[in-house]
Amino acid sequence: MAEINLRQVSKTYFAATPVRALDSVDLDIAEGDFVALLGPSGCGKSTLLNILAGFEDASEGSALIDGGAIGKPGPDRGVVFQEAALFPWLTVWENVVFGPKMQGVPRADYEDRAREMLATVGLTDFAGSYPAQLSGGMRQRVGIARVLVMRPRALLMDEPFGALDAQTRMAMQELLLTVWEKLNTTVVFVTHDIDEAILLAGRVCVMTARPARIGREIPIALPRPRSIDDLTTPEFTRYKAEIMAEMRSAHRQAESTAA
Amino acid sequence: MSDTSVKQAAGRPAGLAAPGSRALGSTLPAIILSSNLGQLLLALILPVSVIAIWQLSGTNGSLFGGVLPTPDRVVAAWWTWAFGATGMGLNPYSGTWLANVVFSTQRVAQGFLVAILVGVPAGIWIGWSRLGAQVLDPTVQILRPIPITAWLPFSLAVFGISGFSAIFLIALGAFYPIVINTTQGARHVERNLVRAALMMGAGRFDILRRVVLPAALPAIFTGLRIGLGIGWTAVIVSEMIAVKSGLGYVLWDAYYVGRMDVVIADMVSIGVMGLLSDQLILLVERWALSWRLAGAR
Repeated sequence: MAEINLRQVSKTYFAATPVRALDSVDLDIAEGDFVALLGPSGCGKSTLLNILAGFEDASEGSALIDGGAIGKPGPDRGVVFQEAALFPWLTVWENVVFGPKMQGVPRADYEDRAREMLATVGLTDFAGSYPAQLSGGMRQRVGIARVLVMRPRALLMDEPFGALDAQTRMAMQELLLTVWEKLNTTVVFVTHDIDEAILLAGRVCVMTARPARIGREIPIALPRPRSIDDLTTPEFTRYKAEIMAEMRSAHRQAESTAA
Repeated sequence: MSDTSVKQAAGRPAGLAAPGSRALGSTLPAIILSSNLGQLLLALILPVSVIAIWQLSGTNGSLFGGVLPTPDRVVAAWWTWAFGATGMGLNPYSGTWLANVVFSTQRVAQGFLVAILVGVPAGIWIGWSRLGAQVLDPTVQILRPIPITAWLPFSLAVFGISGFSAIFLIALGAFYPIVINTTQGARHVERNLVRAALMMGAGRFDILRRVVLPAALPAIFTGLRIGLGIGWTAVIVSEMIAVKSGLGYVLWDAYYVGRMDVVIADMVSIGVMGLLSDQLILLVERWALSWRLAGAR
């Protein structure tokens, strides 16, 4: 479990014309929080996640995890990618134990946990399959299992269900809720889907477009455990209306500054 | 894809086609032609007719006034070359076929192995690291336009009349396609795969061995197949001039003494060896890249 603190984090890409992707982002995530970063595609929310993961450096500001500066990518921050990013030449089992193996964990210490995580995501019978033999949803479940096996202090998820069809996506959301309610890991979840953000997160951060900034943070007080049945409650709809209004005003702001 | 359609077509009894179904590919000739036997027959039409015409237009076992022997003479020459008694003064080639095939194949194998051992790591380094590209790539690009045949005198001067001359040329010729294809493969590794490996705690060497190398493998195999073809070219050229054994040596020697039947039997032998070695690579490729085909199963 981890606490994450971002102070005035900015990111500028220096090209022919410098692009400012992130502008003075402040964000505090407490241990065990589930935070959704919600914003339009290409608004820079993935950049923020990449900084947390250590894939990219912030141009300005400080990014801390448990009080220490975020360094290179590592198993303490498990990343779930949009397209799963499994190694196609490894079987499901080999993909899941890749992390512990790289970290030099003795086989006896990770095998049971790997088996347990495969069972959690319902893929015990597919341990010997290659990613090419799996559906998109199954691949993403492997992507989640291989990260959970490492007992990360934080889960960083970059539109992990964005490429899935609506039904699979709902099943994956329920799966993630179940897993998270059991493990209570800190989660940062990037999405452009309002329903998904409300359903999963304890707090939704609405991001403005180019340069991305965190507009407003909306705590979601829906009781847990949640399920997809919550999608149709009046409370849910109220949150949705509030967030949509927020996104619209953020969009207008971006338009007027661009003009 | 085409494989499954062949199976489906072959599996449906021709006489039981649904009435009125005259869809493309379900007529009797189409079914016969799309079966494995049919494919073989189609492939054989051209070579069989060429050989037949060649045979029938010869008189007294040769064409063009004795220059070109007919196929039956070539087969007879090959038979003596392959199974004749050795050490008979009358026919210096008798019984030496297998030994020469082994000489050439051995050289190709040795040179090819050197090309792989140098070309794959070099290609990974050029494709993966900017430093590697800056250090190695310009040299490779400058040397590459020099055809391996142009290296022959150099090779002779350095290694003399020996098998090393041939191995050097084979290794050099096979090196270029291997290094270039490996470079392409290593350069286009999906970024998120590398990030995923870093996130799971993989070190620099692990990334190269467990991510970049397997990701580049399909491209590497393309390079291996092209490289092996060039390896056979190189072995024949160098044996014609720089070595006193092997299929290339026999080819040139037989030409000098006017044994065109042996020349042609030799050419066919080279072709068959090239085909067999390519099939061997394909077999290894299918095994090594089985994860790619997994979805189609």
